[in-house]
Amino acid sequence: MILTSANTLENKEIIEYKGLVTGESLIGSNIYKDLFSGVRDVVGGRTSQYEDELRKAREVALQSMEQKAESLGANAIIGLKISYDNLGGTMGNTILVTVYGTAVKSE
Amino acid sequence: MNFREREVKITYLREAILCIAVGTAVGLAVYGFFLHFNIAIFGWNLGLIFAPLGAGYAETALANRIIGENIGAISAFILFIDTTFYSFILKNPTLGVNVLTFGSIAVILQAAFPTLINYILVVGGLGTLSYFLGIFKRIHTYIKNNLEYIYYKYVLKKPYEVEIETVPIFDENASNIRINNLDFYFITSTDILDRHHTNLGQFHATVIVEKDKRLIHTNPDMAERTVLNKLKQAKDDCLIELTECIKAAGGNCVVDLEIQYGLIGLGGDHFQVNAMGMGIYLN
Repeated sequence: MILTSANTLENKEIIEYKGLVTGESLIGSNIYKDLFSGVRDVVGGRTSQYEDELRKAREVALQSMEQKAESLGANAIIGLKISYDNLGGTMGNTILVTVYGTAVKSE
Repeated sequence: MNFREREVKITYLREAILCIAVGTAVGLAVYGFFLHFNIAIFGWNLGLIFAPLGAGYAETALANRIIGENIGAISAFILFIDTTFYSFILKNPTLGVNVLTFGSIAVILQAAFPTLINYILVVGGLGTLSYFLGIFKRIHTYIKNNLEYIYYKYVLKKPYEVEIETVPIFDENASNIRINNLDFYFITSTDILDRHHTNLGQFHATVIVEKDKRLIHTNPDMAERTVLNKLKQAKDDCLIELTECIKAAGGNCVVDLEIQYGLIGLGGDHFQVNAMGMGIYLN
């Protein structure tokens, strides 16, 4: 599966547009994690635990999207967009990760 | 304020500053002593307690003798800040700010502003604790369940049914098929503009869904999935709405599609899903 945020696939002709595919995942608010990430922010260190969580969430969303694209018979996704949105939560730590793009079939 | 009063005030200030300086010096000396001989319990230097204590004691004793009244052990504060800064930030940065430091700050502040700090401790502390533990929520649920049980048993005379929290069902694949079987092209890129088309302009659709208002969830995992499924459903609804708008205008495709999620409303109590893009007719 080729993922690109560009309009075209370089050196490859897009044969067919298969449709819209999306993937979402959520990082929930965990009280203890929230408290400790807050404490670490005070000290000024990088919250690597949180970065890991974000990375995992992004992977979950991408996987779900790729699986949908496969079921549509596509072999590439163009115009990929990834966004992170804050949905409030205990300390503003509920983060929604959304990915979406156009599933296409290329040669 | 006449000259005499000012003179008295300046003298008072001068004496107070002297007392604080002496207190601070004594405290630093005590801390130095404890550090030098490394007097510690479980690796925790006792100077952290005795330095502010010594400073406060020296300052108060001196102030009582010179001014004749207590000036509030300000040097103890200074010493506390010094020792904390030295031991937790300079010497042992990995430890950083922790519960112990916050606890010590609370105790020192409590000594200085008893009423205010006690108020904060009781209202803020107990409030936060009960919020996280969900004590009142549980008490409320318990009373509600029991009252409902009694109501069902003696008034309605039928068996009591307990409400079970369920996650709204959302089938990812079914949603994917539904969205892509609308006889409509969703394109997130702008590549398709090379083909022959008619531009219909920018279209926009918004769906707003209510956020769960409960503060405490008995099952946070379930609550999370509920939120996610709600948002997925909202996204589908939003896309369908956008499709309807464009179809009504005579289009069959949306280009440069953008989906946004956000919080709106008072205190962010609603989720908003926006879908926008350029509606076109593809020949």
